[in-house]
Amino acid sequence: MAKSVLTVDDSASIRQMVAFTLKGAGYDVVEAVDGMDGLQKAKTKPFNLILSDQNMPKMDGLTLIKSLRALAQYKTVPILMLTTESSDGMKAQGKTAGATGWLVKPFDPQKLLEVVKKVIG
Amino acid sequence: MVDHAYEEVLAPNHYFDRHFDTEAAKILPGEYYVTRRDMLIVTVLGSCVAACIRDRNNGIGGMNHFMLPEGQESSDPLSNSMRYGTYAMEMLVNQLIKLGAKRQNLEAKLFGGGNVMRHFTIHNIGQRNSVFAVEYLKNEKIKIVAKDLEGLHPRKVYFFPQTGKVLVKRLRNIHNDTIFDREKEYSSRLRYTPIEGDIELF
Repeated sequence: MAKSVLTVDDSASIRQMVAFTLKGAGYDVVEAVDGMDGLQKAKTKPFNLILSDQNMPKMDGLTLIKSLRALAQYKTVPILMLTTESSDGMKAQGKTAGATGWLVKPFDPQKLLEVVKKVIG
Repeated sequence: MVDHAYEEVLAPNHYFDRHFDTEAAKILPGEYYVTRRDMLIVTVLGSCVAACIRDRNNGIGGMNHFMLPEGQESSDPLSNSMRYGTYAMEMLVNQLIKLGAKRQNLEAKLFGGGNVMRHFTIHNIGQRNSVFAVEYLKNEKIKIVAKDLEGLHPRKVYFFPQTGKVLVKRLRNIHNDTIFDREKEYSSRLRYTPIEGDIELF
């Protein structure tokens, strides 16, 4: 069965690019438009990986990570940040919040796939 | 943190504009500027495009100034062009949201994309930039309230984010090559730089 990925980003263009990349490699991809939407979708269906933006309306990426890590079913599920934020300070906050990794936009499709394969196979 | 040649940077050039009697920021190719203050943002465009985006309710606004990298055509949704253009637009939108703009209140005005760069290998680069910017904003559901794109002349654009007012001066007589040199240098920078950010697994 295909592994499932939840991509959380307020930019439709980014969601489409991520979905195009991952679906082409056989993953199931569900899209969420902000952190709040991502949290709700994550609660209704188990995902193998969460891929989230940082700056979004309603709920940002760091808050989403903390909210997910507070749920028993997402204690160990990989969560990757995919964001324009590139400072060491933001990365440190991500690590503390429970992120598995930090990818800075713009993303290279092949490298995104390599990272996804590395963390969920 | 690694520096990349393609990175969009916050415009560092500020001055007091005597004509408009206001604080002003001048942005160059590859730069952007965002503000919640009542001020002026100025740029000069050849084949590049500038998006002036603001929150129509609180006046938080900003401008970018970019072009797509030459090389691949933009039909591939994951091409360097598409990924860089998306990045350039998202940098501006993200900074506006960080200042307090609401995504659902954003409106845009688009300028530039002139067919002025005769030395580029892709002769319609201004049109490519224009089409990208229009399509991107449509896809993101950010309303385009005005645009002045393509044509034969460079433009000087004055954007007042608090009110949303824009003044455009078409530059029919150029006395030096500064605009073209800057855009050419920016284009070269994009062409020879991998369009990809850093990856770190914790």
